[in-house]
Amino acid sequence: MGFPFIKYAIKNLFSKPSTERYPYIKKETPKEYRGKIKYYPDRCIACGLCIRVCSPAAITMIKGEKGEEGQKITMQFNLNSCTFCKMCADFCPRKSIELTNEYSMVATDKNELIVSGSFIKKNPPKKNINKTGGVQAV
Amino acid sequence: MFDKIVEESKIKSPWLFHLNMGSCNGCDIEFVALLTPRYDVERFGIKLTGSPRHADIVVVSGPLTSQVKDRVLKVISQVPEPKVIVSLGSCPMSGNVFKGSYSVEAPVDRFFHVDVSVAGCPPKPEAMIDGILKAVEILKEKRGIK
Repeated sequence: MGFPFIKYAIKNLFSKPSTERYPYIKKETPKEYRGKIKYYPDRCIACGLCIRVCSPAAITMIKGEKGEEGQKITMQFNLNSCTFCKMCADFCPRKSIELTNEYSMVATDKNELIVSGSFIKKNPPKKNINKTGGVQAV
Repeated sequence: MFDKIVEESKIKSPWLFHLNMGSCNGCDIEFVALLTPRYDVERFGIKLTGSPRHADIVVVSGPLTSQVKDRVLKVISQVPEPKVIVSLGSCPMSGNVFKGSYSVEAPVDRFFHVDVSVAGCPPKPEAMIDGILKAVEILKEKRGIK
């Protein structure tokens, strides 16, 4: 009874240090961690729902010139301005935005933190008008 | 000879100064966690200092509110060269959700040069360690020591 904390003192002598050895041993994130954005341009339909839902206005859609095939659309996700709320990924109807578990986003230049992707949005099929007046898709 | 030893040992132990520019305290709490035994940034010789005049690395968080702007510039001008400025989170680089507010001066790099920016809202302490280690490398370059 003379030594009130002797149990803990001895325990701590032989236990491991509580410090995490981070840069040497990489750490795994918890499940559903909201890290760096990954964008899949091939699934996107340019509906603009993510832009509407983004509170810090980090997402921009750049519309290119209209060509024969369609319009080139570039989506830019500015991680300098992102809050990582995952609203864009939740609202995306085609699941083209994903928040990965990559947490180490260190940049010396501002432009390194911009995630972007582009795709060509196809024109709607041309319509032929029959003599009878009906509309037929080609 | 003596000066050289001092110069080299300054690299081994950069002193950190933490500056809150109107942050919501999210980044600050995560940053203070670095100094606790769990992440323990003192392993790399990094020490938190109370005065900007002793600092080598300035860690900055928050969107720079108009009230604090003049004071921040004054404090940063007191830091001796060579200095490295690390920004934590999205706020200093863009203003985050406060963007466009009348009381926020948002992108901080209009006023001073930001060397390393760590993204996240708030960034994970591990990401902050990465950012600070990068800042130490930049400090090494600025001091001209290999």
